[in-house]
Amino acid sequence: MNTIIALLKPRIRSAMNNLRRGNKKNYWSRILMFGSLGLFFWIGIFIIFYRVLSYFQSVQDFGDILAIKLLSMIVITFFVLLLFSNIVNCLAHLYLSQDLNLLHSLPVTSEDIFWSRWTISTFDSSWMIVAFSLPVFLSYGLIYKATPTYYIIFLTAMISMCVITSALSGIAVLFGAKVLPAGRLRTILIILGVILVISLIFALRLTRPEQLVNPDRFASVVLYLNSMQTPNSVLLPSTWITDSMIAALKNESRTCWINISLTLTFGLTLIFVNSILSQRFYYTGFSKSQTTPRRLFSPLRYKGFNWENLITFLPRESQAFAVKEVRTFFRDSSQWPQLFLMAALIVIYIYNFSVLPIQNMPIKTIYLQNILSFLNIGLVAAVLSAISARFVFPAVSMEGEAFWIILAAPVRIKTFLWIKFFLYYIPLVFLAEVLVISSNYLLGVSSFMMMLSMMTTFFLVPSIVGLALGIGTVYADFKSENPANTVTGFGCLLFMILSFALVAIVIILEAGPVYQIFMADLRGQHLSLLSICWAIISFGMAFFLCVLATLYPIHLGKNHLTIK
Amino acid sequence: MIQLSELTKDYGTTIAVNKLNLRVAAGEIYGFIGPNGAGKTTTIRMMGGILAPTSGTVQIGGINMGTHPVECKKMIGFIPDRPFLYEKLTGMEFLKFSADLYNVDRNVFQQKAVLLLKQFALLNWADELIEAYSHGMKQRLIIASALLHDPQVLIIDEPMVGLDPEAVHMVKDILKDLASRQTTIFVSTHTLSIAEDLCHRIGLIHRGNLLAEGSLDELKNIAKLGEARLEEVFLTIIKENAFI
Repeated sequence: MNTIIALLKPRIRSAMNNLRRGNKKNYWSRILMFGSLGLFFWIGIFIIFYRVLSYFQSVQDFGDILAIKLLSMIVITFFVLLLFSNIVNCLAHLYLSQDLNLLHSLPVTSEDIFWSRWTISTFDSSWMIVAFSLPVFLSYGLIYKATPTYYIIFLTAMISMCVITSALSGIAVLFGAKVLPAGRLRTILIILGVILVISLIFALRLTRPEQLVNPDRFASVVLYLNSMQTPNSVLLPSTWITDSMIAALKNESRTCWINISLTLTFGLTLIFVNSILSQRFYYTGFSKSQTTPRRLFSPLRYKGFNWENLITFLPRESQAFAVKEVRTFFRDSSQWPQLFLMAALIVIYIYNFSVLPIQNMPIKTIYLQNILSFLNIGLVAAVLSAISARFVFPAVSMEGEAFWIILAAPVRIKTFLWIKFFLYYIPLVFLAEVLVISSNYLLGVSSFMMMLSMMTTFFLVPSIVGLALGIGTVYADFKSENPANTVTGFGCLLFMILSFALVAIVIILEAGPVYQIFMADLRGQHLSLLSICWAIISFGMAFFLCVLATLYPIHLGKNHLTIK
Repeated sequence: MIQLSELTKDYGTTIAVNKLNLRVAAGEIYGFIGPNGAGKTTTIRMMGGILAPTSGTVQIGGINMGTHPVECKKMIGFIPDRPFLYEKLTGMEFLKFSADLYNVDRNVFQQKAVLLLKQFALLNWADELIEAYSHGMKQRLIIASALLHDPQVLIIDEPMVGLDPEAVHMVKDILKDLASRQTTIFVSTHTLSIAEDLCHRIGLIHRGNLLAEGSLDELKNIAKLGEARLEEVFLTIIKENAFI
């Protein structure tokens, strides 16, 4: 046990050292900022659940069933999330971390290393889910006027759930790494996980849940109520956890204690199984993870076609960067899930417009269509901001420790940044225009609105990409084990705030003149001189803001990277 | 070919390099030795244009690195001590990337790349991702890429780290051959035997100051040692200047 604690100490000490006074990275201000944001969400979740549950309480009989069904769904969701996050974290902590070579060279047993790593992985995977489950279960306790036993049961159940999911992940990973090298296993698991998530998103969206609010759709209310009361399988730990909480809420102590005992003993049994398996499999699996697996996919070749020939019109150094960027991006398996998710979300985005019941709306359709189209510009820009946060913001950090190659090469930093800019700008502007044109087409908007949407998007995309690249450069981390993680840092939060603010200002600046032009067009009138001046000034300011947001952050980034 | 004038790097709490002055002629192999933390890597990084000096200048082929970095870098082949590369590229793809940045003639690239890969025993690995390479193989690939554009100046930080004896021997031969063809080579190293075997002149740096400079015989005179190895010369000079 002492060895395990000693192995955990570097992690604890590093965390404490981050909080020391005089730390250059100023973790206290980050904690304060993220803490406030977290607290904001925490309170938001609490208010939403409290109000939903209060509403359920006001519906006789049916409300109680809904609340319990909701609880069961929440527990299953948390369980699945914990399981997935634990598998990914267990793989990283047990087999892929850079410090494992050092740990395995120490005079400690591989079981001790396993347990220390498993503990860290359990904590990393669980703390956020536990923290954000608190307002949910607190609102249940308050609405049902639960006794203190409920809160004790809830905490015990949550901790047991974390242990169970982590132990199950440990077993899965130990077996998996025995068969396949850990790096390959992670790729396959991520792909499977993403396929699962995409299938769930599609399944949920294609069922068109908005129609559930229409009671005409149900053949029989009784049948529906019955389906809501169908119990989950008694063999699932998530069922025991849900049942123990429901029983605690209803003061049914016998059911409560049976279920919580089942949960606890199952968790302990899994720990025991992990202990046996780690002795047998951990070291051999780790040893296997040290070999580099062969490439999962071989390069595609079609009758001598080479995609690089498509960019021969570019200057030579730009061509070199483009080829390098595309290759390193698509060969990095950690990028694939993001691409799949992005593709799925885009399909759903366009699908949502195709099923909008515009013709059935009581408001005048042409007016509504154009309002939706105008707001759609903001929505597309927000989607672009999210995509830029994930792909453009870490673009400079992705150079990693190999950034010396750029510094030593006869290329100006400014050129390097502009090449990066265009590499991301071109596909993103194409994507944004496809989204805007297809959604406007589905909405059937006027040609003025189509033109306005296309132009605004055309100028907003470079400013979003410029902001992401510039701020990403200022906050670049070349030493990170996973540069994509910069997305969770302060810099990316700053980018998102600035990007949303920019989009909002541009939309606000355009809203007034667009309304004037649209209404004049609708009424067949000419624009007044004042309206024309207003439009010129507003559009001019929006254009100026977009240009500023494109150029200035890249200038800042250039200054930051220029050798000091 | 290389001229450092009053070169200083002040990190705020430490002066890593203090008013360093030195010249290296074309075709000369200059060894830069010193204990850990002496300022070798900082000097090398300033010479490679990776780090800006606090004051002083670096001139390569008469061109100032501070004012004309791109022109200077075109003349340099830079080899760092740690082989960080783009792990998701293959060896051949990395060479192509370097060739494009340094504007190597497209018509001769393939032939030259194959020759270098063969020379550094990497030809069979040319189409494998760099992530599968060993430390030594990555180091060899960096050396190969640094030679691709026929640099007039080679700046090398710890050239033999991670190389096997055969590769060490080969790299030494290559460096000697390059020097004989008027390439200027600036080598920073801890391995005194390499400096002894390879270098025409040696500079000894300690706590950011150049303590002594000259051929091995000249250094022996400075240290007042007769028939001695560079190791003894090094230890004597460092000991005598311990007050710095």
